[in-house]
Amino acid sequence: MKISAKQYAQALYDLTGGKSEADVGGVIIKFAEELKRGGQLKLTNKIIEKFNEIWNEQNGIIEAEVVSARGLESYQVCKAENYIKEKYKAKKVVLKNRVDGNIKGGIIIKVGDEIMDGSVAGKLRKLKENLRK
Amino acid sequence: MSSQKDYIIEQLKKQVEGIKTETKTEKVGTVVEIGDGVAKISGLSDAMASEMLEFTTTRTDADSARTDTEKTILGVALNLEEDQVGAMVLGDYKGIKEGDEVKSTGRILSVPVAEKMIGRVVNPLGFAIDGKEEIKSDKFYPIEKNAPGVIARKSVYQPVQTGIKAIDAMIPIGRGQRELIIGDRQTGKTAIAIDAIINQSGEDVVCIYVAIGQKESKVARIVAELEKNGAMEHTIVVVAGASDPASFSFIAPYAGCAIGEYFMDQGKDVLIVYDDLSKHAWAYRQISLILKRPPGREAYPGDIFYLHSRLLERSAKLNDDLGGGSITALPIIETQAGDVSAYIPTNVISITDGQIYLESDLFYKGIRPALNVGLSVSRVGSAAQIKAMKKVAGKLRLDLAQFRELEAFAQFGSDLDEKTRKQIERGKRTVEVLKQAQYEPISVENQVAVLYALTQGYIDDVKAEKVSDWERDFHKYLKSTHKETLDLIKKEQDLTDKVVKKLKKAIEGFKEIYQG
Repeated sequence: MKISAKQYAQALYDLTGGKSEADVGGVIIKFAEELKRGGQLKLTNKIIEKFNEIWNEQNGIIEAEVVSARGLESYQVCKAENYIKEKYKAKKVVLKNRVDGNIKGGIIIKVGDEIMDGSVAGKLRKLKENLRK
Repeated sequence: MSSQKDYIIEQLKKQVEGIKTETKTEKVGTVVEIGDGVAKISGLSDAMASEMLEFTTTRTDADSARTDTEKTILGVALNLEEDQVGAMVLGDYKGIKEGDEVKSTGRILSVPVAEKMIGRVVNPLGFAIDGKEEIKSDKFYPIEKNAPGVIARKSVYQPVQTGIKAIDAMIPIGRGQRELIIGDRQTGKTAIAIDAIINQSGEDVVCIYVAIGQKESKVARIVAELEKNGAMEHTIVVVAGASDPASFSFIAPYAGCAIGEYFMDQGKDVLIVYDDLSKHAWAYRQISLILKRPPGREAYPGDIFYLHSRLLERSAKLNDDLGGGSITALPIIETQAGDVSAYIPTNVISITDGQIYLESDLFYKGIRPALNVGLSVSRVGSAAQIKAMKKVAGKLRLDLAQFRELEAFAQFGSDLDEKTRKQIERGKRTVEVLKQAQYEPISVENQVAVLYALTQGYIDDVKAEKVSDWERDFHKYLKSTHKETLDLIKKEQDLTDKVVKKLKKAIEGFKEIYQG
């Protein structure tokens, strides 16, 4: 059976869980050898991606992207972080801020494949759709 | 003036205020791969099978100053994999880029349905494509629906008159039946279906013609012909043209069927033509292969049988509690070089309740419709015939069967005994009577009259090559001087003594004045 990147990542997480840094180094070397033996080195990037996801999920870390029309002030960032923390019951929020003038105002919050569109452009679009009906 | 201005502004304010712009969480995905009308999307963890998706594409930054550069294209989720969704794009996929946003809509793929669709040409998504006004409807029917169950059905008992003598007499089609029309290219498959649609004028049957992967020129010709014969008044044409994406060809028959179900649920009778299901199978094969589903025989995917069986099962005659509506399906299959044992033809033959088999040999011999009477059957059979037709058709079948056995001897001419010669002559005339031009459907009472004349030997003394002229004049004569006889057949639906007497009188009267 083919082993998927997700399964490799899960295995890596299970192997390294609760181990000291020195031990982890050994595990990683063995893991990489195993990958090479199975001819799965091409999956490395995907495994890293998946490992990141699993790690974040297990430790209650959430990566979020906030899109705004202008750069956010620190108090705004704080507010957004707290909101996301509460909504997803996360312990820690890693926030990325992207500035996009096209959204005109307000913010868009992206978490995983969920999106909350609170932008002025989005509201205008909804208004347009409704008026068309 | 100013009060009107205020009024307009007031109204606009009211409208705008009524719209709630609350923000809610939506699930989105991004396109990772796109090609040949199929997109692979990451994310979209809550997508349902066959859910409608919305692709939002934006043009490059160069002209992002304009606000209307966003375009939404519909798609359907087909493959739900562990961390990807395979979706087919309904529309032009060329604008979609890698990284574009895809939103789920929470709606299963459905088409708008409305009374106003009758007389229109629409695409498989229900949009008008005949250049007339937009079809507005707030009623939607899902494209995929479970067929009515055993309890919901009733056995087929009413006929659908196709207006074609050979079919109505020997291969009768009932309301709620599925009768396959099969044959090579250029054998008149579509012609039979179109004649059947034309003959439904004034019959209170809604007709739906679904063109799947057909040339647009052919569809245009058919629509023009239907209009000329006044048949568009009860017909909806659903078109997935040859240049439309394969996804359109794939959903077209289901969309047509959904529109049909809307009318069936109102207790109406629907006649639906799928032209043709071989191209439908090709379109589905294309989509399946691009989605990397494993290919099977002839590279068709494993569920190709279910593809057609679930479509054709939706044709039904509903019981009286459900309104008694029906959907009669006439699927068309094109064979390659007469090979009915290929994969798709055998599949569809086994699903349908009989087939009308057309042969190119007969077509070139001038026997049109080029019906092979031996291989064509209707499994519902005479349950869907009026009694009068049943009586004449029985004799007709026998005459033809005997003729086919003796045909080989026909060339010996005068060496044959009297009885055999007579049978051959009768057979020749039967074949002549069953010939019929396109776009000339004949009403059932006229069919009964001429077939009665034939089977009772009234045409035996007319030269075989003159039979069609004789028949044409006979119908004219009946219409002008014996209208009440025709009305009586229609009313009684049976060859009662009274009808037989009148019919005999009419035929004898005609023979007296007829000079060939």
